Amino acid sequence: MKTMNRVLRSGTILAGAITATLGAMSIAAAEDVTLTVWDWKSGDPTTTAYYDKVKADFEAAHPGTTVKFVMQPHDQYYTLLGTAIAASKGPDVVLVHGGSQAKERIAALTNLSDKVADIKARVAGWDEFAGPDGSPYAVPISIQGLAVYYNKELYKKAGLDPEKTPKTWAELKEVCEKLKATEITCFALGNKEGYGADFFYSSAAANALTPEQQAAWTAGDLKWSSPEIKAIVQAWVDTQKDGWYAEGANSTAKFMDEYQSFERSENANTIGLLSDVAHWKEFDEFLEPQNVGVYVMPPVTASVNQTLKMPLAGGIGYGVTKFSPHQDLAIALAKSFADTPAMQIFFEAAGAVPSDTAVDTSKVESPSAKVVLGSLSNGAGLLHNNTSTAETEEWHRQSQMLFTGETTVDKAVARLDEVQAQAKKK
Amino acid sequence: MTETLPATATKRRKATAAAHADPGSRSVERFAYLFVLPALALVVVFRIVPLIWGLGYSFTDYDGMSAPRFVGLDNYIGIAHDPVFLDSLINMLILLATLPIWIGLPLVLAILIHQGVPGGKLYRAVYFFPAVLSSVIVGAIFNVLLRYDGSFNLFLKALGFSAVDWLGNSSTALASLIAVQLWSTFGMSLLIFLAGLSTVPSDMLEAAKLDGAKLTQTWWYIVIPSIRPIIEFAAVVTTIGMLTSMFGLIYVLTAGGPGTSTILPEFLIWLEQGKMNRPGYASAISMVLFLMMAGLAAIQIRIMSRNADI
Amino acid sequence: MAEVKTREKRILWVISVPMALLALSAVYPVFFAINAALKTRKGYVLDRFGLTTDPTFVNFSQAWNESRLSEYFTNSVVVTVGAVLVLLVVASMAGFALAILRFRGRKIIFITILVSLMIPVQVVLVPFYRTMIGLNLIDSRPGLIIAYTAFFLPFSVYLMTAFYARLPRELFEAAQIDGANLLRVWWHIMLPMGKPALVTLGILNTLYCWNDVLISLLVLQDQRTLMVGIAALRGEYTTNVPLLAAGICLAAAPIVIIYVIFQRQIVNGIAVGAVKG
Repeated sequence: MKTMNRVLRSGTILAGAITATLGAMSIAAAEDVTLTVWDWKSGDPTTTAYYDKVKADFEAAHPGTTVKFVMQPHDQYYTLLGTAIAASKGPDVVLVHGGSQAKERIAALTNLSDKVADIKARVAGWDEFAGPDGSPYAVPISIQGLAVYYNKELYKKAGLDPEKTPKTWAELKEVCEKLKATEITCFALGNKEGYGADFFYSSAAANALTPEQQAAWTAGDLKWSSPEIKAIVQAWVDTQKDGWYAEGANSTAKFMDEYQSFERSENANTIGLLSDVAHWKEFDEFLEPQNVGVYVMPPVTASVNQTLKMPLAGGIGYGVTKFSPHQDLAIALAKSFADTPAMQIFFEAAGAVPSDTAVDTSKVESPSAKVVLGSLSNGAGLLHNNTSTAETEEWHRQSQMLFTGETTVDKAVARLDEVQAQAKKK
Repeated sequence: MTETLPATATKRRKATAAAHADPGSRSVERFAYLFVLPALALVVVFRIVPLIWGLGYSFTDYDGMSAPRFVGLDNYIGIAHDPVFLDSLINMLILLATLPIWIGLPLVLAILIHQGVPGGKLYRAVYFFPAVLSSVIVGAIFNVLLRYDGSFNLFLKALGFSAVDWLGNSSTALASLIAVQLWSTFGMSLLIFLAGLSTVPSDMLEAAKLDGAKLTQTWWYIVIPSIRPIIEFAAVVTTIGMLTSMFGLIYVLTAGGPGTSTILPEFLIWLEQGKMNRPGYASAISMVLFLMMAGLAAIQIRIMSRNADI
Repeated sequence: MAEVKTREKRILWVISVPMALLALSAVYPVFFAINAALKTRKGYVLDRFGLTTDPTFVNFSQAWNESRLSEYFTNSVVVTVGAVLVLLVVASMAGFALAILRFRGRKIIFITILVSLMIPVQVVLVPFYRTMIGLNLIDSRPGLIIAYTAFFLPFSVYLMTAFYARLPRELFEAAQIDGANLLRVWWHIMLPMGKPALVTLGILNTLYCWNDVLISLLVLQDQRTLMVGIAALRGEYTTNVPLLAAGICLAAAPIVIIYVIFQRQIVNGIAVGAVKG
């Protein structure tokens, strides 16, 4: 044992010494700068045009600079980002999700307060990338949100008016009853990763909580056991009992199994997104634009808003790592992702709802896209974005166990209260 | 760990000629150090040093961004009260308890192929296929096979059974996951066993046959004992694989759910390290996992040292 | 006697049936992957299992060209071949010393190497990455070769040690072993004698290196290996299964071909440690 200790100690000292020497030696003095960008999107064929445009424009405006996109596998993205941050070496610009994922990492990102004044008004969605004092830490490029998409053909089959969408929980219940009577599954649901449950409570909470209550949630003052939230958890269980979903939700991936079954017309409704995927553009492709409708999920309890507001927020955005040696260039690059010409392509080719309000969306034909775009100016908060990661993970687990019957609503919210208290303590 | 060795030391058989010739020769010793140095240096610098480094993190609230702050045993106390971690340990124990199947199944298949089962040569080639495919494709396939409206349930219904949500039920998810992993790796053990069997002298088997021994008796009393070291070797390889290479399949097939029913420590470490961004806490879980593996290792090192005659 | 034999034969025939089913199940994923790779994305969503009616090779060309798998292919080959060669050399040297030679600290060195076998990758992720940065080994193929060697070495050293320790000792009695010609003994006796074990290690390590994602992701960020390129084909939400399947077919093809062609040699070549029991 002694020998091993001695070997280990000398090994550690040796490695430390080498690390220090090499670290001191590696000083970049090259004239040509390469900016490395990490994301999980640039390899997606639908976004290729957008990324090409950003790269071409930026390199033209900054001679001698090369932009390099490194697409990381999404499952390892935050693990890799974490190791890069811990070692203070890696990408200059990084893509992050708005909400908790961005906020829990702002200590590693550059504060952009006095750098983005010129685009602040044109671009929307900053809140999701803001620090406690409101300073922005990333430039949003998309608006993300939740809407219920439905299949008009199946509504007709069930004897429902395809142009009349449910405005209250009771009306939604009625729709599902009617669909059920004609043996059509009401909602597509995939909850293997717990995303189905995330989308459910976020949608249901959008018009059930006042802005003050939303803020209290973010601060951790509104508990899972509060009547407002508990009613939603209860509805999660009840809707399953009432047969809204096909069997096997726990083993169905939301992305893309759930959406694919909706695209195969196996069920009539699905809670989808506004940007990226599982949105109007994709459903239009499979079901024909005139067959796809969209509405806002009504709250379980009484609505706090006159007309239902669509839950939406900044989607994804680009931040600059603090350790990047090329701060100014990197900031310029992060901002260029939100340039209007590039954003226009992002909207048209990928069907993402752009954060840039100057993008011309008037030419869009899709009826559901028109509804979505018309709702942007007056949205509600996206609750799951402001839930701590620890709570989100626990909710994923509890939501599945609520379905299998291993836990009860009371036990689940009690456990979630515990996790919430612990997470917000810090 | 030295405690585990005396038993093997006394059992040390015939030392090699070199040792007899000149055990204490200075020049031999110097060369011996030169020969092990590359291996030792690599292992120490890239595995042992990071391990100790990680041990250091486990006593801090390190988040990867701000400087780590010493928090004593907080992380360890935290995981002792973390129901998710405790569940992952139980799942790990269940997984380990299935080891005999992981060894027995390929062993039986190997023996059958060795005995000349019809089509054996073809099976030998084909059984290896799943081991070559990555877990991503294996996961994608079993996702569609095992889902509630998947082909496997359709098949069961055709036979008159009722459908089961294999991956969506806490009582069946872990078993399904283990079965898929077993299916996708048994070809590797099979290959190792086949190789071992090829070294069993055939006259031994003939003699047993002439004595009127039944097939199963020959296996049990002659074949299996003669390849015991290989079985032990396969057990070691398989155990390590079970504890460290299930991530890909968990991620694709169940994402740890439903609830905590398929979370293994390996997956939890990934969750805490990446999504939750708590490297300090993840390190503490890692250390507990390492200690448990080391416990297992104590047994295995015993086996391995004996096999290596050290 | 003859009666017993036919009865045994019959039993083997009966047993062959479930074995054939298992074989079918093992072939199925290969069929599934190829079939899916020939479908369009939309075609796959609408019908996942059915046989492709109008096969398309778009996915293969897209994976090979646009997803740049052709570029990654070279990286994978270089790194895998390099790492496997280094592994075999280093492991057989260490195995030789640990099994045949006697020197102080032998036991402790062997145990150190075995202990490191039990360290899961995830446990050392952050410190390992910092060590790699410290030694300036990030973003280089040699760096990844060294990393692979370090990760798969403990197992290889163990196997070589076990194998050499069980070779019949008459082999070395002929050779005069002293410091001066140890290198020659290793080269002329140990390496050729170790062939079965080296073949085993060659296969296992080739599979490990070829299929690795995590280590390669950390170390080789500038360039990519094949499996990382394939892992990246799986987006955040979408999995374009036909494209992914095409990528996997391309990546698995070399391994499958090598295995099918050389399987006899491989199976005969493997005779893991402890032959003499």
